[in-house]
Amino acid sequence: MGSMRLALPWGARISSQPGYREKRVEPSEFTRAASEPADRLSSNDAALASACRAGDPRAYERLYHLHGSRMKSMARNLLGTSSDAEDAVQETFLKIQRGFASFRGQSSLATWSFRILINTCYDARRSRMRKKEVAQEEPEESRRPEPRAASAHPSLRIALERALAQLTRHQRDVFLLYEVEGFRHAEIASMLEISETASKNTLFQAKKNLRQMLEAPRSTAAEAR
Amino acid sequence: MDGTAEEWAALETHASTCAACGQEIRAWKNLSLVAAELHEEWDSPTLWPRIEKALTAQSTTPESSWWQQAFGNWLLGSLRWQTVAAAIVLVALTGSAIWFASSSKKHDGLQNQALLNDRTVNEVERAEAAYEHAIDKLDAQARPQLENSSTPLMANYREKLLVLDSAIADLKSQAGMNPANGHLRRQLLAMYQEKQDTLEQILEAKK
Repeated sequence: MGSMRLALPWGARISSQPGYREKRVEPSEFTRAASEPADRLSSNDAALASACRAGDPRAYERLYHLHGSRMKSMARNLLGTSSDAEDAVQETFLKIQRGFASFRGQSSLATWSFRILINTCYDARRSRMRKKEVAQEEPEESRRPEPRAASAHPSLRIALERALAQLTRHQRDVFLLYEVEGFRHAEIASMLEISETASKNTLFQAKKNLRQMLEAPRSTAAEAR
Repeated sequence: MDGTAEEWAALETHASTCAACGQEIRAWKNLSLVAAELHEEWDSPTLWPRIEKALTAQSTTPESSWWQQAFGNWLLGSLRWQTVAAAIVLVALTGSAIWFASSSKKHDGLQNQALLNDRTVNEVERAEAAYEHAIDKLDAQARPQLENSSTPLMANYREKLLVLDSAIADLKSQAGMNPANGHLRRQLLAMYQEKQDTLEQILEAKK
């Protein structure tokens, strides 16, 4: 293994945050669906999908309460602001309702929903870029990123956010879904319509690239002498 | 961190005796720990009511294929001369596709046949495969131009290709379930031709 020392204290022990990070190992509606054969939804998932297809508003509300929080977080990381994230989640639900005719249960309802969410977020990003192409440049103040909640490692988090923006879309998606939102590779593979192996390889590349971006140049110390 | 417990135990054991590996493992773990802080949860008391209202409004409006809506919106919003040109090409090629579909042998007495026979389905599928092959080649040439340019023209082409790709995916899915449906096949061929023409226009614009 390599032995490059990072300028940021990556090599030092950082105390883990309790609670959320433990969720990946716990059974969840996601993991139960992901571990089942791809051609069969869990009975809960199938019942919820059936109720949504029938237009039962309580089913959509259930879907929102089950997954809305993670959807908002994922969208927030892709779009940068909580208001854009909420707009994307709303648009996703509308697309879910419209697209139910084409949902055949090949994946779980949750992974299908997140697939739609991710595409919706990238559509929103493209739309924002197109508006910037034809509009005047906005004043610098209005493009300042929205402040985040308090963090145990604020400088590291900011550096990581900036580095994430430089990853490819694919690497960023896999990294956010795995490391930030806690999905398993089987679920990510279903969402992004890739193989589980591809998901693992992409995550490895993403983390390798992030570490390279977050490390100080090796020659810095030598040049300083 | 998808390794088994045994694999991690072996790794931790090695890391306790190897400084370089120990540092490497800590670096990877710390990246994961900081990444977890990017997950944010916040109260959105008005979000569900907004979504519910929008879902109700959408469920009461007449249904139409989403890609028809998107493609229609694109036609309204894009540059006029491109819209007119695209419409003319689409009409012309839809007519060609209809001629293509009707040139196969049919049973006597059948008119306005909506269903294709097996032989015609095979021919259409070969034509679709040929289109896909040609489009893949054009796409590889046009993609750098599309991704590296930020002009309104290229933005327009990018949007058009997105809509076409979605329409093609939707039609392929429907045709997969109804392979003998001539109407779907004609629409799909028309979309392929439209995408091919669009990619050719992008390459022309590059010159």
